[in-house]
Amino acid sequence: MRAFDVVTAKDSRHAVALLAEHAPTAKVIAGGTDLLADLKFSSHGPAMVVDISRVEDLKAITITDEGLSIGALVTHTAIMRSPIINDMFPALVHAAHTIGAVQTRNLGTLGGNLVTGVPSMDSGPTLMALEAIIVILSPAGRRQVPMAEFFLGPRKTVLKPDELLAEILIPKQNLGKPTHFLKFGLRKGQALALVSAAASVWVDVDTQICSAPRISLGAVAPTVIRAPKAEAHLDGRPLTADAMAEAGRIAASEAKPISDFRASAGYRRELVAVLTKRALEGAYELAKTKRRGA
Amino acid sequence: MANDDREKLSVSRRAFLKGGALATGALSSTLIPLGPAEGADRAPEATDLDPRRSKIELKVNGVAYRVDVPNTTTLATLLREELHLTGTKVGCDRMQCGACTVHVNGRSVYSCTVPAVDAAGTEVLTIEGLAKGDTLHPIQQAFVEHSGFQCGFCTSGQIMSTKALLDRNPQPTEDEARQALSGNLCRCSAYKKILESVMTASRLSRA
Ligand SMILES: Cc1cc2nc3c(=O)[nH]c(=O)nc-3n(C[C@H](O)[C@H](O)[C@H](O)COP(=O)(O)OP(=O)(O)OC[C@H]3O[C@@H](n4cnc5c(N)ncnc54)[C@H](O)[C@@H]3O)c2cc1C
Ligand code: FES
Ligand code: FES
Repeated sequence: MRAFDVVTAKDSRHAVALLAEHAPTAKVIAGGTDLLADLKFSSHGPAMVVDISRVEDLKAITITDEGLSIGALVTHTAIMRSPIINDMFPALVHAAHTIGAVQTRNLGTLGGNLVTGVPSMDSGPTLMALEAIIVILSPAGRRQVPMAEFFLGPRKTVLKPDELLAEILIPKQNLGKPTHFLKFGLRKGQALALVSAAASVWVDVDTQICSAPRISLGAVAPTVIRAPKAEAHLDGRPLTADAMAEAGRIAASEAKPISDFRASAGYRRELVAVLTKRALEGAYELAKTKRRGA
Repeated sequence: MANDDREKLSVSRRAFLKGGALATGALSSTLIPLGPAEGADRAPEATDLDPRRSKIELKVNGVAYRVDVPNTTTLATLLREELHLTGTKVGCDRMQCGACTVHVNGRSVYSCTVPAVDAAGTEVLTIEGLAKGDTLHPIQQAFVEHSGFQCGFCTSGQIMSTKALLDRNPQPTEDEARQALSGNLCRCSAYKKILESVMTASRLSRA
């Protein structure tokens, strides 16, 4: 490992101050499950590490005036155990469960997962389908970026070197929105997603008409993406089996998968169609048991 | 080799290891076991001379230590090479195999992936902390009874993951046990016996 300095942040303000002082040579370490590989095996690791793992004010899961706030340092294990998230968004719990193994989930954080910016990140699609907002702190103050604008490319986000991802906000109008996430990997455990898909939708239980359908896909484009054409196909219509299957086919045409040693682009496209349809079916099932705002 | 020769050898090996531990401690003046009453709840501090080293305090298996290590030291290296607790193994050194699994503040983690500075102020439990004197922990007992291993290299990790599971879920289903141990690979592929050991451990722990 290349030698580096360590400074420990006491709270989020301190973390921002440390980053302002030491950027761009400094990098934040949260759970370290991704960064440690960089530190150990790459020759261009950071000269300084700002350790934010002790920053308590970024570990809360709370309902605020703005919606559901999840602190950047909330671990995947904490998401799985949160009563609020289990109640409102079982899809987020499921997504957390598909990440790595227990040891990785115990350390890995939601913020770290998003900042890695890899297209296969498992918390991405559900949060994007819920139109999550990324809250960023810097010496200049607090800014909010919609999830759909957060990723710029593989391993690239809008975060500047002196900025800290502070919280992930699921906006108030989406609290309790029926959502479903599916991941397809080559094994049951410890597998990266070949394709993942999430869908969220409100359904009028009397007419079956759906509104605000949101579909998001992982591992089939340079970043996690939305599938706006598939969404438009469903908006304002009854969620029939045919409509959901067609939305799957449209989503497959919106994906831009690559061929690699794990799977061909054609196979991934096929998976997008199937997973999108099933994610919609899953969200629809939930919607039947839940009324808006309930 | 005659039996008493072997006895002598093993004694001298132990004495040698002990001497080695003290010598390392003296050389880098790092290893200072603290009294049991002294807490270890502080963040790491940069050493006076070198920002690339840190002074940390932590408790391992109930014993408090103060060490001064390079920031590049992982918890696995600290345990094995500074504290000489070599029951924790390093297989892949890259978060894939689970041989290095220990508990930090009650959570199972890959110690090859935790910077030692991140463990400052924590309580660490390793495989050495399970047995009480000569009495094996029920999980260890179950692994022995079922031969839940072949070469044994992955075993301390398997046992620490089993403990993490049973601490939260004393009566897991087989499927829950498989899930909970999915981060621990066994190159000898003793998985069937490992699963049997976990299920028996669950019964023994409740008895
Ligand atoms: C064995 C293994 C299996 C894995 N399996 C999966 C999987 O199945 N699915 C999946 O999605 N991921 C997986 N991962 C990737 C990784 O564990 C997750 O992405 C994890 O959530 C990263 O979080 P962290 O806190 O450990 O990040 P760190 O390693 O601490 O940080 C990652 C990056 O984000 C930056 N960063 C972290 N937090 C912040 C913040 N608050 N503000 C600004 N920058 C920040 C760091 O500087 C660094 O560049 C796996 C990793 C391993 C080692
Ligand atoms: S040595 Fe840590 S996971 Fe393999
Ligand atoms: S017993 Fe040999 S690796 Fe598991």
